[in-house]
Amino acid sequence: MQDHTTEQELKERLSLIERMITEGRRNTESWGWTFVLWGVVYYLAIAWSAWGHSVWAWPTTILIGVIVTVVVASLKAGNHPETTLGRAIGAIWIALGISMFLLFLALGLSGRLNDQHLFVAVISAILGMANGASALILRWKVQFACAVVWWVAAVAMCFGSDTQSTIVFLVAIFLCQIVFGIYGAIAEAQERKRRGSIHA
Amino acid sequence: MPDLPELNPVVHGRLRLALLSLLSCVEEAEFTWLRGKTEATDGNLGAQLLKLEEAGYVAVKKKFVLRKPQTLYRITKTGRQALTEYVQALKKLLGPAVDS
Repeated sequence: MQDHTTEQELKERLSLIERMITEGRRNTESWGWTFVLWGVVYYLAIAWSAWGHSVWAWPTTILIGVIVTVVVASLKAGNHPETTLGRAIGAIWIALGISMFLLFLALGLSGRLNDQHLFVAVISAILGMANGASALILRWKVQFACAVVWWVAAVAMCFGSDTQSTIVFLVAIFLCQIVFGIYGAIAEAQERKRRGSIHA
Repeated sequence: MPDLPELNPVVHGRLRLALLSLLSCVEEAEFTWLRGKTEATDGNLGAQLLKLEEAGYVAVKKKFVLRKPQTLYRITKTGRQALTEYVQALKKLLGPAVDS
């Protein structure tokens, strides 16, 4: 390298590439609110199915949850580009929504939604799978802890009494949806605040 | 500076390099997003994107979302290869200075 200015220029180019890649990869999406929303959806479905005794409680609330999520997410998305990572995480949760909707609709219509323990164990296991997969992709320990809570809840459903299983399910929803969702939303807000604009 | 000609002149342009770097980590990006990230003017951005398109480094797709026109750009395989080669050439030119 003979010319110091040129060396500086080349270093600056390398730095520019790094800055732009960091900026492009930066997660601008906010998903904390969806966990809170779905926590509320589960509580509504539980309340409706417990007091209303309707087979439509779960499929209806899940369908409403999906519609609200899609509409709000599209409004928030703006012109942010999709990343492969974002698509991978999104795919897990979309597949979870479709699985839950179809399963609970079919169970409800067929009249086989009678075993509360089995029903809640399946929900918990599915949520454990989705949180676990997402946590492993994102390498996010807090979300993996949520997955563990769901898996523990799924196992506990098989052995506890009706009251115990209901309490475990309500607590799991509170911790993994409401508390985790609020934590995620705060973390996302702090990240947005910390971020400065990077120019080319 | 005898090593400089080895760098791809299309990629070497500051704004074009920024655009290729940004596009290398997203599936596709809208013109307005690229403008926001680079803070370039519409005219300059459009001109540099056109150069990248002519070189075959980016592909353009136009579509309408809620009746609003959207121009989406994505890096091509050739563009990704050119960026990789450019980074390798940069590192080679800088040698030990790359970590300093």
